[in-house]
Amino acid sequence: MQVLANLVVLTAIYALISCGYVLIYRVSRVLNLAHGELMMLGAYLLFTLASLFKGGPELAFAGAVGLSLLVGFVLYVVLMRKMTGELVIAAVLVTIALGILLRGLMVLIWTARDLHPISVLGWKNPPVPLGGGTSISSVALATILVAVVLYLALMLFFRYTRWGLQMRAVGERPLLAAQRGIKLHAVYALAWALSTFSGGLAGMLLALDSGLGSTMVIVGLKAFPAALVGGLDSLLGAVVGSFIVAAAEILAIHFIDPLISDVVPFVVLIAMLLVRPWGLFGTKEEIERV
Amino acid sequence: MAQASGYFKTSYGQELRLIETTTQKVALAAFVVVLLVYPFFAKPFFLDLANQVFLAVIAASALMLLTGFAGQISLGHAGLLAAGAFTTGILYKEVGAPFWVTLPASAVVGALLGLVFGLPSLRLKGLYLAVTTLALHFIVAYAGGEYETKRGYSTGVSVSPPSLFGFELTQGRHWYFVLLAFDVLVVLFCLNLVRSRTGRSFIAIRDHDTVAEALGIPVKRTKLLAFVISSVLTTLTGSLLAYYQGFVTIQAFTIYLTIEYVAMVIIGGSGSMLGAILGAVFVVLFPHVIEAAIRLVPASRHLVNDAFAINFAAFGLIMVLFLIFEPLGLVGIWRRLRDYFLLWPFRQTAVGKGG
Amino acid sequence: MTESPPMLRLEKVEVVYKKVITAIQGVSLDVQQGQIVVFLGTNGAGKTTTLRAISGFIGTDDAWVTEGRILFEGQDIANWPPQKVANRGIALVPEREKIFETLTVMDNLEASVGAGASRATRKRMIDTVFDHFPRLATAKTRLAGYLSGGERQMLAIGSALLCEPRLLLVDEMSMGLAPRLVEELLDHIVTLKKTLGLTILLVEQSAHLALGIADYGYVIENGRIVLDGTRERLGGHKDVQEFYLGQGGGDARKSYREVKQYRRSRRWYG
Repeated sequence: MQVLANLVVLTAIYALISCGYVLIYRVSRVLNLAHGELMMLGAYLLFTLASLFKGGPELAFAGAVGLSLLVGFVLYVVLMRKMTGELVIAAVLVTIALGILLRGLMVLIWTARDLHPISVLGWKNPPVPLGGGTSISSVALATILVAVVLYLALMLFFRYTRWGLQMRAVGERPLLAAQRGIKLHAVYALAWALSTFSGGLAGMLLALDSGLGSTMVIVGLKAFPAALVGGLDSLLGAVVGSFIVAAAEILAIHFIDPLISDVVPFVVLIAMLLVRPWGLFGTKEEIERV
Repeated sequence: MAQASGYFKTSYGQELRLIETTTQKVALAAFVVVLLVYPFFAKPFFLDLANQVFLAVIAASALMLLTGFAGQISLGHAGLLAAGAFTTGILYKEVGAPFWVTLPASAVVGALLGLVFGLPSLRLKGLYLAVTTLALHFIVAYAGGEYETKRGYSTGVSVSPPSLFGFELTQGRHWYFVLLAFDVLVVLFCLNLVRSRTGRSFIAIRDHDTVAEALGIPVKRTKLLAFVISSVLTTLTGSLLAYYQGFVTIQAFTIYLTIEYVAMVIIGGSGSMLGAILGAVFVVLFPHVIEAAIRLVPASRHLVNDAFAINFAAFGLIMVLFLIFEPLGLVGIWRRLRDYFLLWPFRQTAVGKGG
Repeated sequence: MTESPPMLRLEKVEVVYKKVITAIQGVSLDVQQGQIVVFLGTNGAGKTTTLRAISGFIGTDDAWVTEGRILFEGQDIANWPPQKVANRGIALVPEREKIFETLTVMDNLEASVGAGASRATRKRMIDTVFDHFPRLATAKTRLAGYLSGGERQMLAIGSALLCEPRLLLVDEMSMGLAPRLVEELLDHIVTLKKTLGLTILLVEQSAHLALGIADYGYVIENGRIVLDGTRERLGGHKDVQEFYLGQGGGDARKSYREVKQYRRSRRWYG
């Protein structure tokens, strides 16, 4: 039972992170390999704001979430915008470089020590019993809820709003979309903002649950196989992929060796890439477009 | 012969020539002299730097062949280096194998891993291929870590210096000449490979693999060959690295190392062996230059403890700048400068003005 | 020939790809308000490049207008980004990749309506498109990727209309379509011109159908305009008859040498 609960929590965490990869990839075919660092940045922002607004933890949290949104927007406008029209792989390399840059800056600003935003916010994280001797932490429960709400919201957004429609159009044929008067840069900027928003949220929840340190980048990187297994341009795929990767990881930890947990997602990834490179729910044509 | 309006090739033989002009011949000769004299004047610290550059040049050339020429993007370079280093370390520790065994053994492991890393390239391109090699990196790293913990070498496997013809390689100066010889061999090998039939197949595959296939180039075999050659050179570097540093630890082979090598290709200039060398020099020296700069500027001296983080940030920034503003890398800058002086006083303008 | 100023005027336009390959050179043409102008030429002659130069698409292929001017209603729009050109009142129906295949017909149209439009305006505009192309109305909820060639073309023209253009550029409409369908589409084009007062620049390889509805025509070869004139003049021209209408007098085709001669003799046009 406890295993099952852990599985759901891990799936929620991966899903929350991997939707950031999907959002950007779907719209611009760029894989943002700085996502782990951006996640961490969100968590650090929460820590700083929490120290600033000692009295209002809710305010600090809301502020950090808002700032994460802004970070993505700014990043697109000052950096990634220059890469539109360049080779996709060049843009991916830029995100790798961005990741290094961010990591350096974060160590400079916040040092490499492990931080615990939850104690600064003054919140508690009591375990929630689920019956049958199983329990998960309150933050983990919140993570599951946030993931569900976020995915529902995003799916509705893509399905029913004009911005969502424009994002889908741009994702398929950016040039044609531009010709039809859709503001490409605005759409891309929105995708980046939403991506850092969801990533930042994931980072904050993760930091609230288990502290804030350099391992977060690895968690971010591990969520990327989840996005790819499901199909990089599908939100539903990201959920399913997260579940598969989480399941494989938990099984491996239980039956093989806890040390292996960092590798399992990548083994799943390779298996998937060799069998069905475009993922479970992805569009097949993508592979040839690289 | 350099002419006032530029250098023109008048025969196919000239196109293939490695050294094209007298000026180049003179410059190269001068460079060789500097290289030979350097170890007798350099302090140990600078000797060590030179050796590090030499090691990086081999692995950077390997990645340049694969990425810059054959167009196969690999993010598993650190994994391959680790494989070479660990093959050496394990063989040395477990059976006490000498240099002459571990080096070829590393090459064999490299060839096998090259096949493994290369197999996905038969189905995947670009981004997806990069991701697969990244995944393979994690698996190799895991295997290395597993060996360390299982055998209780948690701080790393120590390797004693190799002996060549009964002559122990302990001094930096000796290493300098051994590595220099390796570099010359590898660079000449790569230069010759690139202008051979195989090398041109690499380029054809990079530029358009469907067309290459239509032209009768065995795309699959050539891709695998690129991976194998590159991987063998990389594991050889890994093996040398193990001996040079005297110990092997998986902590040294992070994704960051891979990124450094990718950066060498980008910053040096993709698709050029000179680029690989320039990139290796730049990336190896970069952190030391930054640190020296921090120490020199009095106002920033208190930052010395943060030098590592500053390095990280500055390195990321440099990579971003090169990717955005100078995709041709240092070689591009060098060529522009050279053309500028060659064509002077005529201003060189591109045909189009829009771009 | 100097009555009212033309809606679109190209003045000795030169386009260079990747700073080396000159695709078109010294192309000058006028499109008068309310006319249907046909642009003829064989593969690789520079038709599509000209259209893409006007609509601003070439920039993405690293091609640029290096000489000359593209005047739209008196304003030079050379090297503008596609989106700005679209907002200025020129819509392009490209040769390929002209619809969003993963979206439904309705979503394709919705995505093409200007951002500022209210829900009611959007509905009204889309209904107008359905009035023109009733076949689209029956396929509203289908994915555009599953449409037939003719329906795709209709959807592409329909969504281009939603940008409320004054000038419509249509690239190779007849590509891969049965002649009967092309005729039907050309009828639609004539209707659009009449009911919406649109000016239309058609690029075509198959001359006989296109010349039938055109007011004026240009022939481009090897990146240069070699011939122009009214429908009657072009249709009656010996070379056009031979090369584009396939009515060569008996003895098959001319040899390559003669074709080359033909180009050279008309160089002065550029």
